[in-house]
Order: sequence, then C-alpha cells, then structure tokens
Amino acid sequence: MYLKLAWRNIWRNKRRTLITVSSIMFAVVFALFLESLEKGAHDVMIENMTRFHTGYIQVQDYRFEDEPSLDNAFYYDDSFSVRVRDFELVEYTIPRIETFMLAAGAEVTRGAFVMGIDVDREDQLNNLKDRLTEGKFFEPGDGTAVISEGLASRLNLAVGDSLVLLGQGRFGMTASGLYEISGLLRHPTREMNNQLVYLSLPDAQWLLSADDHITALLVTPSRSRNIEPVAEQLRTDFKDEELAVFTWREMIPELVEALEFDRAQSRLMMGILYVVIGFGIFGTILTMTLERMREFGILLSVGMQRIKLAFVVFIETFFITILGVLAGFVLGLFPILYFHFNPIVLGGNMEELVAEWGIEPVMPTALSPEIFIWQGMMVFILTTIICFYPTIKILTLKILDASKA
Amino acid sequence: MAIITTQNLSKIYNPDTIPVHALRDVSLEFEEGEFTTVRGPSGSGKTTLLNMIGGLDIPNEGFVEIDGTRITGMKDRELINFRLNNIGFVFQAYNLIPVFTAYENVSFIMLLQKREKSEMKERAEELLTAMGLSKKFDSRPKQLSGGEQQRVAVARALASRPKFILADEPTANLDTDSAMNLLDMMEKMNKEENVTFIFSTHDQRVIDRARRVITMVDGAIDKDERKSPPSKGESELSEQGDDSLS
Ligand SMILES: Nc1ncnc2c1ncn2[C@@H]1O[C@H](COP(=O)(O)OP(=O)(O)OP(=O)(O)O)[C@@H](O)[C@H]1O
Ligand SMILES: [Mg+2]
Repeated sequence: MYLKLAWRNIWRNKRRTLITVSSIMFAVVFALFLESLEKGAHDVMIENMTRFHTGYIQVQDYRFEDEPSLDNAFYYDDSFSVRVRDFELVEYTIPRIETFMLAAGAEVTRGAFVMGIDVDREDQLNNLKDRLTEGKFFEPGDGTAVISEGLASRLNLAVGDSLVLLGQGRFGMTASGLYEISGLLRHPTREMNNQLVYLSLPDAQWLLSADDHITALLVTPSRSRNIEPVAEQLRTDFKDEELAVFTWREMIPELVEALEFDRAQSRLMMGILYVVIGFGIFGTILTMTLERMREFGILLSVGMQRIKLAFVVFIETFFITILGVLAGFVLGLFPILYFHFNPIVLGGNMEELVAEWGIEPVMPTALSPEIFIWQGMMVFILTTIICFYPTIKILTLKILDASKA
Repeated sequence: MAIITTQNLSKIYNPDTIPVHALRDVSLEFEEGEFTTVRGPSGSGKTTLLNMIGGLDIPNEGFVEIDGTRITGMKDRELINFRLNNIGFVFQAYNLIPVFTAYENVSFIMLLQKREKSEMKERAEELLTAMGLSKKFDSRPKQLSGGEQQRVAVARALASRPKFILADEPTANLDTDSAMNLLDMMEKMNKEENVTFIFSTHDQRVIDRARRVITMVDGAIDKDERKSPPSKGESELSEQGDDSLS
C-alpha cells in the first residue's frame, strides 16, 4: 500500500512527472551515448595498439626494456613455444623479431621498422592477411618482403620491385639484404604505416645474424580478463630465467594514462550534466514537497511515522528517476546499437587528427553493460541526495504549521 | 474515570513579541461516551484546545492526560504512535489522502496499525456502509462531495478504534443538509458504539445537537453545560460549572 501511495502520488501531476522523467531520460541517453562513443573510441585505440603493436602480453629478455637492441634478443625454439602455450588460459603465442634499419628503393632511402614474423600466427591476432592491399604474403624463407603502403610510396616502390635493407645485426654484425616486394599492406596506425617492413621470421633471423632468437614472444590469453593471471603465471615460471613479462598496460603506459585522463575529463563533464539534471529533479521534488505539506501534516497527525512518510517520498522520487533512467536506457540503446554496427567514419580534418594519434578514423560505440551500470549508479546517488530535502522537511515538520498551509 | 483530563492548560503564542493568550488555565474532564461541542467566537481558542488534547500542540503550562497516560512531554515518535492508536481526527477540510479511494483512506490507518488484512477489509466496509457510503468505496476524494468526504474522514477516524474523536469544525465547509447528515452519522456512532466525540463549531444547529456544550471566550472556559441525558428537550441545558476567570 505504501508503494501504491507512492506510485499514485507520482501520477498526481502527470505533466510535471512526464517533464521530469523525460529530462532524466534525455540526460541518460545523452550521457550513455557520449560515454559509449568514448569508450568505443578508446577500445578501438587499445585494440589497434595491442593487436598490431604490443599484443596483450609480451615475453622479452629482461634487458630488452632498457636497451631494446638485438643483443638483448632471447633464445626461442618450438619447445619454448609449446611450453608457453601449455599454460592454462593461454590461447596462442606469436614470435617476433624487431629492429630499426635503413630501407632503400632505387632512389630514396628511409628509416624502417623491420619485423620478422610468422604470418599465420600473426594473422590469428590481427587478421594481418586482410590488411594486404596488393600482392601476397611471403612463405617462410622465400626471401620476399611485405611493406606498408606509406613506406612504399615514400620509397617509390611497388609490388615486384626490389628493396634493400641495411643495418646492424646481433652483436654488431653487418646486416644487409635484397628483397623482392611480394605485397603491400595498410597498417591502421599512421606512424607504422610509414615505416613498416615485414619479413618472414627465418629470413629476418638470417639477415640479423640472430638464428633461433626473437626479441619478443606475444602471448594471447583465452579472454582479455585473463591477461593479469596469465602474466602472473608466466612471471612465476620465468623467475629463474633472464626473461621479463609485460602486459600491454605496462608497455604503453602513456596511452593508458592519456585514456584515463580523457575518461576522467568526460566523467567530470557528465558530472556537471547530472548536477544540472539534479537541479531539475530537485525542483520537481521541491514543489511536490511544498504542495503537500498539509497532506504530510495530516498523515503525521493521524499516526503515520515520519520515517515511513519520508520513505514513501523517497520511493516516489526513486520511481521517477528509475522511470527516467529505464526510458533513457531503452531509448539510448538504439543509437548505441546502430553506431556500434555502423561506426561513425570521421572525415576531413578529424581524420587527419585521429590518424596522427595512431587510431583508425572510425568511432564505433561500445556495447558495455558497465556504462549502463555506472549511469544507473549515478542517478541513484543523485536521487538519494535530492531526497535529503523532503526527508529533512518531513523529519522536522511541525504538524500544526503544516496543517495550516 | 475520565478518559481525558486537561489540567491548568495555558498556551501563549509569541511570548517574546506580542503575546497571545490562546488558552488560559483550562481544566476539563471528558467521560467516555460524551458528545461534546466546543463553541466560542473566532479566536477564542477552540482549535488550540483541540490541538492540545490531540497532542498536536504543546502547552506552556499544565498537561493533558488520556486514560491515565500523560501525553504532554511525550517524545515525537511515541506521540505519533499514541495518536494512531488512541485518537481519531477529523479536520475542517481536505483531510483525506487525495490519491487513495474512500476505501483505501479508511484501511490505510489500519495498515499503519498493522492490523490483519481481513479485519481491515471487514471494518472498512462496515464503517463506510454505516456512514452511508456503500456505493462510494472506490471513489477518490475529488469525486466525493464535501459531506461525503467528511463522512469518509469520520469513518477513517473510527477505523483505528480510538478512545475518542476530535473534530475541528467538521461542518464548516458543508451546506446545511450535509452538515446535519454528518451529525446524524456521528450521533449514531456515539449512541450505537459509545464513541466519544469532541468537536468545535460555530454552527448553532450543530451546537443544538450536542449533549455537552463548552463555551470558550478569550482562551478560557466561559460555560460548561450538559443536557440532562434521558430527554432531548431543547432548553434543558444545565449549568455544571463556570471555569471562567475573565
Ligand atoms: N501559531 C500561532 N501563532 C500565533 N498566534 C496564534 C497561533 N495559532 C493561534 N493563534 C492565536 O491564538 C488565538 C486562538 O486561536 P484558535 O485558532 O484556537 O481560535 P479558534 O477559536 O479556533 O478560532 P476560529 O473560530 O477562527 O477557528 C487566536 O487569537 C489566534 O490568533
Ligand atoms: Mg479554529
């Protein structure tokens, strides 16, 4: 009956309730959309970073972090690969050998980032094969290279042309090689797209005098939430070896920090939005409370405990906000779903800007229950704060003053 | 024993600025089953007196006892509970919960008392029927006339099985027919169920129907008259005491 009382009180002034509910609803839709857009953009960023760059977990020689040189590569063979893969929660591993070299075409020479990879295993992580825009990938040891489009255009090279790589191998050995370009690909991050050269792992190891060595083994756990446990397991296991284990968060702390800052910023904005909404709800509750002082007085005089009455009013406020929030969730789901499957493609300047920062110029919205829960919590807290007013009013109400109103 | 005793009640509003003596040394006793009206000119202290008896206002001096329990000085929570279980209220107007039907208004008070569902239903139906509202169970206050609303209010006041009912000018907003009808109902409850009523009024026809008439002037009891119980003659008012100090 208390609930009935609260429910009917809400609909006593339908117009006012609807206005309040819809203002909450629009705020929720707006906040949900912003938040999921942002999270979506962040997710894409992180995904590109992890899938094409760092992987989720990397095993490296413990010296490599401070001195990322080929001298600090580590011994790797099939048995090591099997050993890591046999860990619980590990899905697969990807070996890489990486170094900077000079890349030269017929006329131009540029700095390049050379990666020796196992194409099939790499493809599991980032569908690298789909990134090919021309030609095909190499077979292990066939002496061909795949280079990124940006680098190709800088070097003025096309599929079928020859590429010269020049640099230093392990322990100061001179490294030089001539490779036929078998394919071009477009790397999602601009920086990489301008300097990437892929070789097969055996070719790269041969070029760099690093037989049976790699600079990093990427480890992909079965699910993203297993990143930490897997990293921990590996650390324990490698305790007595000269190997270090890093998660992607540890490898790109600047990005993690930047994203967190970004998030804090938009949460602040959302906070302000909610304060505005809060005042709207407060206004409704205020007038509702003042209009009903007499009624409250009568309820208290016939024997309703103050705390019960305050509870009823709290439920009323809560109903209104919950209605607004639920309506907001339902209404907000549509644009979020739509833009999740049809990401916003950024054009013009925005594209430049975004590519500069190493992200794909698409912004899908994130579909994450977390966002909904967070919004729900916010509104709940807001309601509780707003309810302080009628609660205090009811707790301190003098019955006589009220019944004169 | 008297169910209500007021002892030397005094109330002064605004004691620091322009003091208003709303009550002056009022000592009264009410017996079970009385049908009493409090009359007097506007501003004479009728409402203040009823509020004191109902524990809605606090006297500057003196106290109120109900059935041997002193309510003056009780804690707010206790007092609310005491009112819930001992006192029925009918106010001048708009004293129903607007979003509840007549039936719900009456049962709500029993819900507050945590009574059995079946008992609630039975008593609410019985009281509303007794008040001539058998066809109005599901009407909201807005859909009821002023007289009907007041009868619902009386039914609600009775629902909690209080020791007595306080009604401050219950007929003030009613036309003559409705007022007389409400009085009929109250009288009936008084006679059939021995419910004690204390109500204030300006209305001579209402005063005529009371069996005890307390007249207030300027915050003090001017006259306290009882009609002799057996007959219903018009001019059988007998002076019982004159507490007037002014
Ligand atoms: N809250 C208050 N503050 C100051 N003075 C008050 C207050 N309530 C009542 N009074 C004064 O106390 C006196 C008694 O008021 P009360 O309401 O009891 O009169 P009443 O007999 O009920 O009058 P009416 O017939 O007009 O209802 C009046 O002079 C009134 O102005
Ligand atoms: Mg009055």
